[in-house]
Amino acid sequence: MTTTLIPAGAKTAVPPKRRRERQGPAWVFLSPWVLGAIVLTLLPMAVSLYLSFTDYDLFNPPRWVGLRNYVQMFTEDPRYWRSVTTTLTYVVIAVPLQLALALVVALALKSMKRGKAFYRSAFYAPSLLGASMSIALVWRAIFNDGGTVDNLFGTGGWVNRPGWALIAVALLTVWQFGAPMVIFLAGLQQIPAELYEAAAVDGAGKWRQFLSVTVPMLSPVLFFNLVLQTIQAFQVFTPAFAIGAGKGGPADSTLVYTLYLYDRGFVASHMGYASAMAWVLLIVIGAVTAVLFRTSRSWVFYTSEGDR
Amino acid sequence: MPGHRTKGFCASAAALALCAMLVGCTGSGESVGGGKVVLRYTWWGNPDRAERTEQALALFEKQHPDIQVQTSFSAYDAYKQKLATQAAGGDAPDVMQLDYRQIDQYASGGVLLDLGEQKAVLRTGEIDAGLLATGRLDGTQYAVPQGRGTETIAYDVEGWKATGVPLPDRSWTWSEWADTMRTLAERTGRPGATDPGQSEDCFEVWLRGRGKSLYTEDGGLGFTADDLTRWWTFTDELRREGVVSPAEQTTQLDGSVENTPLGRGESLTDANWDAPASGYLALIPGGIALAPMPSGEDGTPGQYFKPSMFLGVGADTGHPEEAARLVDFLVNDEQAAKILGATRGIPVNDSVRKEIEPRLTDFDGTIAAYQASLEGTLGTPPQAPPSGDNALQTTFQRDYDQVSYERMSPREAAENYVTEAKAELRS
Repeated sequence: MTTTLIPAGAKTAVPPKRRRERQGPAWVFLSPWVLGAIVLTLLPMAVSLYLSFTDYDLFNPPRWVGLRNYVQMFTEDPRYWRSVTTTLTYVVIAVPLQLALALVVALALKSMKRGKAFYRSAFYAPSLLGASMSIALVWRAIFNDGGTVDNLFGTGGWVNRPGWALIAVALLTVWQFGAPMVIFLAGLQQIPAELYEAAAVDGAGKWRQFLSVTVPMLSPVLFFNLVLQTIQAFQVFTPAFAIGAGKGGPADSTLVYTLYLYDRGFVASHMGYASAMAWVLLIVIGAVTAVLFRTSRSWVFYTSEGDR
Repeated sequence: MPGHRTKGFCASAAALALCAMLVGCTGSGESVGGGKVVLRYTWWGNPDRAERTEQALALFEKQHPDIQVQTSFSAYDAYKQKLATQAAGGDAPDVMQLDYRQIDQYASGGVLLDLGEQKAVLRTGEIDAGLLATGRLDGTQYAVPQGRGTETIAYDVEGWKATGVPLPDRSWTWSEWADTMRTLAERTGRPGATDPGQSEDCFEVWLRGRGKSLYTEDGGLGFTADDLTRWWTFTDELRREGVVSPAEQTTQLDGSVENTPLGRGESLTDANWDAPASGYLALIPGGIALAPMPSGEDGTPGQYFKPSMFLGVGADTGHPEEAARLVDFLVNDEQAAKILGATRGIPVNDSVRKEIEPRLTDFDGTIAAYQASLEGTLGTPPQAPPSGDNALQTTFQRDYDQVSYERMSPREAAENYVTEAKAELRS
């Protein structure tokens, strides 16, 4: 184990005692990362865990209240449950749509002969821009009443209607399918052409090839994307913040979990409650990821398994 | 053990570098090259206010060549949240504009400097004693009121005249107001006003017109779910009739005049505070006039004069004296007052106000005349709201959203609100 820190060539030449001393420089070079991890990640996490058991209004010292925040969250706060259902609805709408779109576009790009680089960049661009507030505001303008969608389809503004606002938020996420698309594309290019040739010789049509070759061969990548996008979707904030005018409106229809957390913490000054919410979110995301991993055993196919 | 020394040295060097980095980030009001003191001054408002503020600050910097003022501003909602975060992080600005609602929380949380310590540079002798006291908590002066404001019904003069409805009188009751809005809506085919149901401020005026108040003296809730149900039933009926703005428009309100139905050209009137109403001028070509808020049915006024905003100094400022000088300049300097006009309300310094009032032109003159017309007719201002009110303002809007989108009855929403308000005020 310890040898991993030592350059390969020096492995046998250095006696054990000197080897220990050699760790000094390694720690010095690691120190920015180690300090960063401690100061910027571990410490804040510990503080947040502590705060989740307190009543803290930002201005006065935290007051220990034990489990009260958690109890209140689960039993006395209807708006908390509304934020939970809103987030779940959002995850269920946005993630499958986004992955499906990413896969379709990746398939189209794969079979493309010319201009692949251009289209790849063009489809990837929204992912680079999409997280920004400005795009979210443009989106809001498009779906506002009197906005583009209203003018084209006469549907009225989506962002002002409780039934539609969350869909506008989800569409903004779906539009940013660039990252999973690039990963799908890389996965598709890893599939050996011989498999398709063999399948074709056996008389499989395009659809059959897709189901029997592409899908199983792509399943690890699909799984990877699913896990990543699900984790991200649970934490959606910026689009909901912009489209719901910072309040999760209209009528709490875009009040996603993180937005309500932000509201409790920074608008209502209940930092303890917000911290408790954050920890519940962390645990839920962990649990959902664990469930995904468990189910993956039955549908994700790794080529190396065949060698066993 | 030379090896150990090197290791120790490197570790402390790294720690030092990190400390230097952290210190560099937290310094507030640090000095920059040339020995100038830099003060950070933050406030909320609109571009009109920004332009005049910059002009006034240029004058201040000219008078005090050793001080440089950096400003930033945003709309009220965003400002409130940003300032709370800064204050919690120990990074409060040197000079900050505060709302009545924030005083209690910020002062009791130790964010604000005791301004009594800066008497030498910050004069308060010419400020009305009652008004000055609103910036005091437990006998300590934490903030100085910067202007006096009151609520108003701002209206599009030309648009109103075109309807043939007589312009609003000196006084009206809530039911007279509703009837007038109904006529306006009938003649224009658009709502007459912003739905006042979402506004805690409007509710307060209505409530006071019935002899009650938002909060009791000991910081409890001053009204019942029945009162709120009555108010929301009243506004909800008006909304259903199309007399006030529909939910789709009301939900877009964010504290800026641009996003009100009046600012967007969707209605003829809006209830607002008088100072920010100047922002409508840029949006409404026909001009803006001010009418008083409706009173209770028996003529009891619900409206009151309120310190429109305060200035406070951060407790951790590195330059308390310079910061107090800036506050003094903004509140007491005649030249500054001439530039600032009534953008933050009518000045609180008596001699400055007397000097300024006749010279106020344009909309500032309108505000001054409006306030003068109300002198002696209004009720006494309530004491500063308790800390929990900060969150309740938003809760009020959200709960009314449920009514205006017809997801809850006025009674259900009102009961929701009262439950949450009681919990909020207890904690």
